[in-house]
Amino acid sequence: MFLRILKKDLKRKRTMNMILLLFVVLCTVFAAAGMKNIIAVTSGLNYYFDKAGMADYYVISRNIGGEDEAGVLLEKNRNVKECHSEQVIFASSDSVSTDGENEIQFGVSLLCDISDCKLSFFDMQDRIINDIEKGTVYLTGGLPLRDSVEAGQHFTVRLGDTELTLKVAGFAKDALLGSEMMGNPRFLLNSEDFRTLYEDDTVRKYSIGHVFYISTDDADALESELTDAAGIMLSCDNSMIRTSYIMYMLVAVIVLIISIGLMIVAFVVLRFTIGFTIAEEFREIGVMKAVGLPNGMIRSLYLVKYLGIAVIGAVIGFFVSIPFSRLLMKSVSSNMVLGSEHGTAIGLLCCAAVVLMILLFSWGSTRKIRKLSPIDAVRSGQTGERFRRHSLLRLGRSRLGCTNFLALNDVLSEIRQYGVLTLIFTICASLVMVLAVTADTLRSKSILYLFSVTESDAYLSDSGRFMDIMAGMKTIPEANKEIETILSENGMPASVYMEGWYKLPISANGKRIQICFMKCSDTKTTDYEYTAGSAPLSPDEIAVTDIVAEKLNVGIGDHVTAKIEGEQREFLITALFQTLDNFGACARLHEDVSIPDYLVSSTAAFQIIFDDEPDSAVISERIETLRDILDTKDVLDTEGYVKDITGVGETIKTAKNLVLILTLIIIVLLSVLMERSFISKEKTGIALMKATGFSSSSVILHHTLRFGIISLASIVLSAALFLPLTKLVIDPIFGIMGATGHIRYLIKAREIFGLYPTVIVAVTVLSAAATALYTKKIKACDTASIE
Amino acid sequence: MKAVLQAKGLCKTYIVNKRQNNVLKNIDLTVSEGEMIAVMGPSGSGKSTLLYCVSGLDRATAGEVLFDGRETAGLSDKELARLRLDEMGFIFQQMYMMKNLSVLDNIILPAVKSGKHTESRRQTEARGRSLMHRLGIADIGEHDINEVSGGQLQRACICRSMINSPRMIFADEPTGALNRSSSDEVMNELLSLNRDGTTILCVTHDPKVAAKCSRVLYIVDGSIVGEKKLGHFEGTDSELRGRERDLNNWLLEQGW
Repeated sequence: MFLRILKKDLKRKRTMNMILLLFVVLCTVFAAAGMKNIIAVTSGLNYYFDKAGMADYYVISRNIGGEDEAGVLLEKNRNVKECHSEQVIFASSDSVSTDGENEIQFGVSLLCDISDCKLSFFDMQDRIINDIEKGTVYLTGGLPLRDSVEAGQHFTVRLGDTELTLKVAGFAKDALLGSEMMGNPRFLLNSEDFRTLYEDDTVRKYSIGHVFYISTDDADALESELTDAAGIMLSCDNSMIRTSYIMYMLVAVIVLIISIGLMIVAFVVLRFTIGFTIAEEFREIGVMKAVGLPNGMIRSLYLVKYLGIAVIGAVIGFFVSIPFSRLLMKSVSSNMVLGSEHGTAIGLLCCAAVVLMILLFSWGSTRKIRKLSPIDAVRSGQTGERFRRHSLLRLGRSRLGCTNFLALNDVLSEIRQYGVLTLIFTICASLVMVLAVTADTLRSKSILYLFSVTESDAYLSDSGRFMDIMAGMKTIPEANKEIETILSENGMPASVYMEGWYKLPISANGKRIQICFMKCSDTKTTDYEYTAGSAPLSPDEIAVTDIVAEKLNVGIGDHVTAKIEGEQREFLITALFQTLDNFGACARLHEDVSIPDYLVSSTAAFQIIFDDEPDSAVISERIETLRDILDTKDVLDTEGYVKDITGVGETIKTAKNLVLILTLIIIVLLSVLMERSFISKEKTGIALMKATGFSSSSVILHHTLRFGIISLASIVLSAALFLPLTKLVIDPIFGIMGATGHIRYLIKAREIFGLYPTVIVAVTVLSAAATALYTKKIKACDTASIE
Repeated sequence: MKAVLQAKGLCKTYIVNKRQNNVLKNIDLTVSEGEMIAVMGPSGSGKSTLLYCVSGLDRATAGEVLFDGRETAGLSDKELARLRLDEMGFIFQQMYMMKNLSVLDNIILPAVKSGKHTESRRQTEARGRSLMHRLGIADIGEHDINEVSGGQLQRACICRSMINSPRMIFADEPTGALNRSSSDEVMNELLSLNRDGTTILCVTHDPKVAAKCSRVLYIVDGSIVGEKKLGHFEGTDSELRGRERDLNNWLLEQGW
């Protein structure tokens, strides 16, 4: 008897049971994929760094005059517990040419012997790379490099008098330098290939260096003691490397938020659906009571039914969650090894949790069975009791059209039901808007001020010339002049200038740190933005970032001491500023401060200002011409330059697109499933509307409009909330990267208030309308046959 | 009297599990203006199906239906909906109403949708209240549909069916879910409407209800097998008793 009732129920209420099953599948997919990702993200960098074998402190140094000064210093340093080093060869993109159409463009790269590497590198499937075949190379580094090179492509490395042709075996993940913010790709070579290059005399004289992996208990002391060593290109502790992954972690956190959001969405929807379906059963419960079935049996009937649906749904959901989890993590895992050893177990646990939750929901929802009487069968579950006013609007006093009124009245009358949907849509839309604003800001010239660079017509990133300056082979003015001559010879007279960045120690109040000093002889300190005070106006004045001021416990009006070429020089702080360069550990020197160019540790791009003040179209043409003349893609306009230096803007954009797609999937699923369950619930109302003279199109419009109202409400809420949310979530991340002050976000009104709202509303309305077509099957005469 | 509704050779066939079920078989029916007709018959005889087919709630398999001289089979679903909205009123056994609307809003909903009467919303509302007043439910206008009794709700349904001043009201077991006193009240209202000129076609199981109608049709297995003319009911108790006696005897003859 029990099974017969159950079988009949499953057959007769096929639609609602199918909807419930789909929600269970959805819930399991979201829960299992979400939980796996949450664990992967929270263990995130620890897991990656452990797997890669990272140390406490890192130094990358270049041999000066054949001497490894940093190595000598580290060998006898008391703060070094253990130190491993690997030999590297530095190369610029000038040294590399390809056989294909795409030029490889990168900053200074490190050529390494895989057998000598002290770090584990991973391929795209997260397997450790132990061996590399002779004549092949693995490349590390961010997306720009991967976009321009393909696996299987050949290229030639020309260093000194040696030439080596290598085939790209694939891409690798590098825990130390792999983030976009570190910006230095590595070429992982076979031992024999590395030796071939190393044996070249010119290479040994100018291009050799080391990467040191150091164990230490006092990173600060070690940093302080290394400030005097020449040739150090990077000297930082683990926290700095971790910070360089901040944008990836931001994306990972977004994935985490999406996962948590999806889980909440799934459980809320499931809770509601179970509540609805049980409420629909009042009539039958009453009948079963009337014929004498005990409460326990009736309750177990529903529990067994929901258990069955839950188990089937959870099993399907488990298998679907595996590719879904990978899809979610895809945007993060291209540069990091994220994961967990227990992915399958976590997935299975989540499935069990979903089944348990469904049983709990069912248990809670079936509690009412005890209270229901056979009378409820007659009254279809309506007790007649209602103490709350149900309908809020009055048709007679409304100016809305009949269908519009009905839709709005339904939404306002069932505020809990529609409110949950509105909330879910608002969360999704806000997330899309926050990411869109962040991605747009990071990819626009509006953020240029955060990189302490003045705006110019064009920007040339030329690693060859940078290396010549760093090696002391050229001065900055000489390099500028060279480019000006080329421009002039090609009919584009222009001024060229470049910011020099010098890593030097600075001290005050007994504290000493190494920071990046910025100086440009061809611009004025007044050309830059400051958060407080006024620009340095003489060579003995300086501006420091808030971060430096905090570390040294100084402010405007205080003095700091910098050691330049062995000479201690005192500066008066006149201004504070913010920058994303060097994680905010920077100071700006007056343009007249004398500092030798060979001390430059890094540079901004060569900046070009054309003398004839051409318009943007001419500038674009000239940039193209310059690319041809200089045989490089790295001649950029301001927006291109910002994209190039931020790097992560593209990653955030990818994450935003992922969130947008997920949002649309959620919206489609929720709209379709909820509308289908509404139709199932409201069959009587639909038939009645048709009987009283509403056409099918009016009914479809009525049902569609309700979702239209929900989506519009969520768009309005999202539009109001996205900016405060952006400030709440993204400002602290900029703060970690060095921008501690006010951030001017770029809001592309057409995109934020036009494109996304239109897409979200359109998808919602279309999904609901397509589902509402089903109401055509309900006829006016069904008023008699509907229970 | 002019015919409001005419059905000729009306057939309705359902196919369930590849089995043909002829619910209505070649029915001819004429309803004249001002008539109040009861359709009676055993359960499953096709009473409600007849009502749905002639009212345009459902489409007949064969035959034709003329409403006010217009052939309804040729009308699109939209035109049929419009016809129901403007020219017909419906009362069902279950007092179906839109759950998120107050009683008054339920009543005026067809009028707002139709726009047949050129009036403001407030005037429509006033007309709705006036109908409610007439049917003795003026005080429940702002109530939710779950707050009122079955009898009150069915009277509200009558108000709704009346709001567009229809040519004809179709009532499917209008007193089926009501107790005797509510049933009498509802029938008195329908009689009152009929006296004012509204044509009514009413499906019922109840001889007491049918006895108040001017004509009774008896339907068995999808065919009208008998017709009893009772004439206009004046409303006295003694007259009602006599009409009931006559009707019961006739029904017994029909195999009731």
